[in-house]
Amino acid sequence: MEARETVICIGCPLGCRVTVLQDKKGNVTGFKGADCKQGQKYVLDELKNPVRTLTATVRTGDEGYPLLPVRTSRPVLKVLMRPIMRETAKVTARPPVKAGDVIVKNVAKSRADIIATADWPGPGGEG
Amino acid sequence: MANKVDVAVIGAGPAGLAAAIAAREQGAEKVLIIERAEQLGGLLPQCIHNGFGLEYFERDMTGPEYEKAFVERAMGLGVETQLETMVIDLDGERGITAVSRKHGYMKFKPGAVVLAMGCRERSRGAVGIPGTRPAGVLTAGTCQRFVNIEGYMPGSRYVVLGSGDIGMIMARRLTLEGAKVEAVVEIMPWPGGLIRNEVQCLHDFGIPLLLEHTVSFVHGEKRVEGVSVCRVDAERRPIGGSERFIPCDCLLISAGLIPENELSRRAGVELDPVTGGPVVDESRQTSVPGVFAGGNVVQVHDLVDWVSREAELAGRSAAAFADKGRLKPAGGVKVVPGESIRYVVPHTISGREDVSLHMRVTRPGLKATVKVGGVASKRFRSVRPSEMIVIDLKGDALKEAGTGGELTVDCRMKEGD
Amino acid sequence: MPFHETEVLIIGAGVLGAATARELSRYKVDVTVVEKGVDVGWGITKANVGVVCQGRDTLEFRPEYHRTRLLWRALPLMEPLCRELEVPFKKVGAYMMVRDQVLKEKLDKLAKRTESLGLGSDKYYPFTELREREPYISPEIKGGLHDPEIAVVHPVYLTQALMENAVSNGVNLMLETEVTGIQAGHSEFTVQTDHGEIKARYVINAAGEWVDRIAAMVNADDFVLFPIKGYVGVLDRNCSQLAGSLLAVLPEEPGDMNIVVPTVEGNLLFGIQLQINRRHDRSTTEHMARLALANARKLIPEISEKDVINSFCGFLMFRNFEIGWHECEVAMSARVPRFVNMTIGYPGVSASPGAALEVVEIMQADGLKLEPDPKFNPHRKDIPDFSVLTEKERKALVRKDPRYGHVVCRCETVTEGEIVEAVRRGATTLDGVKFRVRPGTGRCQGGFCGPRVSRIIARELGIPETEVTKAGGGSPQVPLRTKQLLEEGGGDG
Repeated sequence: MEARETVICIGCPLGCRVTVLQDKKGNVTGFKGADCKQGQKYVLDELKNPVRTLTATVRTGDEGYPLLPVRTSRPVLKVLMRPIMRETAKVTARPPVKAGDVIVKNVAKSRADIIATADWPGPGGEG
Repeated sequence: MANKVDVAVIGAGPAGLAAAIAAREQGAEKVLIIERAEQLGGLLPQCIHNGFGLEYFERDMTGPEYEKAFVERAMGLGVETQLETMVIDLDGERGITAVSRKHGYMKFKPGAVVLAMGCRERSRGAVGIPGTRPAGVLTAGTCQRFVNIEGYMPGSRYVVLGSGDIGMIMARRLTLEGAKVEAVVEIMPWPGGLIRNEVQCLHDFGIPLLLEHTVSFVHGEKRVEGVSVCRVDAERRPIGGSERFIPCDCLLISAGLIPENELSRRAGVELDPVTGGPVVDESRQTSVPGVFAGGNVVQVHDLVDWVSREAELAGRSAAAFADKGRLKPAGGVKVVPGESIRYVVPHTISGREDVSLHMRVTRPGLKATVKVGGVASKRFRSVRPSEMIVIDLKGDALKEAGTGGELTVDCRMKEGD
Repeated sequence: MPFHETEVLIIGAGVLGAATARELSRYKVDVTVVEKGVDVGWGITKANVGVVCQGRDTLEFRPEYHRTRLLWRALPLMEPLCRELEVPFKKVGAYMMVRDQVLKEKLDKLAKRTESLGLGSDKYYPFTELREREPYISPEIKGGLHDPEIAVVHPVYLTQALMENAVSNGVNLMLETEVTGIQAGHSEFTVQTDHGEIKARYVINAAGEWVDRIAAMVNADDFVLFPIKGYVGVLDRNCSQLAGSLLAVLPEEPGDMNIVVPTVEGNLLFGIQLQINRRHDRSTTEHMARLALANARKLIPEISEKDVINSFCGFLMFRNFEIGWHECEVAMSARVPRFVNMTIGYPGVSASPGAALEVVEIMQADGLKLEPDPKFNPHRKDIPDFSVLTEKERKALVRKDPRYGHVVCRCETVTEGEIVEAVRRGATTLDGVKFRVRPGTGRCQGGFCGPRVSRIIARELGIPETEVTKAGGGSPQVPLRTKQLLEEGGGDG
């Protein structure tokens, strides 16, 4: 019995629906629907290691600037997005913050940090 | 104040920032950005998602990061800014009337003007959705501002009408914030935004994308209580009997962007009815001498990177114009959209310089060939109206081809998608 | 123990209630207005397109109607009233047009009738001449009858101004107060509301859409009404050149009324195909919208779907067929002394000053002593409209109050100063601000200014932004804080 999984390739506007054929041991035996090498590589990565950069906000407690935009320091597994959101929602950032500063270390044990993507000098500050 | 402004840039979004930087780098001494909002960056600060800068910086950046890179460059170059200032008039001789709480009422005439007002979203009224008029109907971009900047959520259960990029991005954003997105409803047979967003914003979260559907009715008296969704026929008309009710407390509209050209109209700038933006030559000069335009005010781009690039061109040209009219006259050759091409920007070219043509197709297709007169042709595995096509032309080739005053751009394709 | 006592109680703060309150405020008499809505003029007044007319060039016009007599009294009052209250009033004139010869004969008859009644001499213009005056009309039009007297006002602005002026002259306005029951006593009425009891000697029932229900509470429902609705589309101001006057085609059937009409603000409205409706239903349908657009394009082919920036539901209460659709009821109830009903149907806005005068006379005839109040001030200052001021006026205004230099709404050029003033004059909601100073009524429909207006309202009223509503209780714009759903355990799905 062959296993099949379908992934939509995002490499180009074509948006191919690529079916990956695998044998019992999980070895890839072929592709259906992908005509290009880049597409096959993307599909394999997406199957083995579906990761995303998660972006969100954290509270600041500053009425004039209530939310600080943040992202994960590196792509995280898709399944970790929701736990990371919940953990991040509990956090309040403390000023001053520079873009790139770590706000939460190893968030939800993802081995990624939550880092700021904007500067926030604090209430009443410039910017 | 400023009667010595060389280049005035209207709008401090990605286009305005890039235009101002380019104008300074080109030698314009005093460059002033006038912005109606409280901060620089236009919509970038609320676009907290990533996917910016892949073309421009070859890095995956978020909106705030992309903004910061440009703001720092602009500040480093001594670009001046006036925030919370509304330009209320632009006349046909570059005369600007602006007003603000801080600076009061002011009039001045800069050496050149760059229009960088960006675009606005089509509203419920413009989309014409029947039903009642309760609270809880808003555009995806307005919702984005509330959720990401102001810190408020307009509801907890959503339907999104239109699969434009902002709509799909907001579907993901709201889901991550704990809300439920019941469906994204698209009237066309294909999604309105990028494939990447369809996959990463909708598929990742199991949000249904209902193609060839529309919202046929808004229910609820005070707040939205739900919407009726139905299939549409080939003319995009609702099919009777196909309606079903989806309970929700919020309807987001992401049904297209319209270049914001109120000021351009006041100045008498000629507009292209298809793009909704000014008719421009390859330097991005409009029909009014000394008034340039770049970014989404000209044509709605898919990527902010291209907004920046186009605005840089406008900014450089504006600086050259402001410097005693040191701008080579462009134009001469008309660029005409032909088979399956909806529009091409710029509308005229000199036929002597290297130039990039931006265009969109009218419908999706496979194995497409885009031909630019007899000058150039480029093949694409697939084309879609939602993905802009860029074709670079060499000045030498144009000169050789001798275009006869007109270049028609055609796209031949197989049906598909 | 009565919660409140008054000589005259007016139920409903629509244009009729407001006009009557303002008329009564000339006298030394206690007047209270109760309104169940959060603001004034939001019932059927808001669903009116604001045409000031006699309707003399229409088939439904009947000189013998009571309504016609009210209009004759009211129309000469309207322009001076608007001047006193600083409400925009624009005489636009109207063309009642025809597409074929048979209807042309009907039009000739209407013109003769107008002349024989001494109402004026409306001139007929054949297509070629009409086209010189209205260059965008369809070539299918054969010609049209011109009534130069027709004007437009904004019904909600007029109502607000009337009520503001009435309140400044001593009238007591109670908003968000719904009448739930009425008992008629020998010398006074006891009126129950959701905020307590009110004792009143006279009750004026100007409850608009609910006028028959209110009357029924005290067995004063001497009339039958039914609701009618129609679709009204709003065109971008960039299309204002398409029509300078009210344009209409003479209907072939009653209710088949289709018009294009300029507003005081320079937008064009189109639509109004009338249909019988369910009570309180203000929804529009795709069918109504499509039909209205198609009909408008028969008048002006250049009207395009892409220029429609908004739409709303026109809404009227009409009399039953036996009496005539266009008859009104402005009278003391035959069964209940001192209980006065007011309902006009169409055109209620035009008739309102006349109806108000008549109601005052009805009460005087009944024995109400009305002594003129020497302190009565008929004038009301409008909120400055930055967008129409001259450069000199703008500069002066911004110098005086810098908030007028902060333009919040780009499309309509509305400043923070105007929004703050709207709140000061009683707007407590987004629609309340919108229906006073217009932010969000332009082509972007609040896309840019929406969050900013909401913040200003919250600040001025000193309430959290989550409590700012679109149109009163139960309609918050942003009911939740970001992250609130995550904290409440959402996002697990």
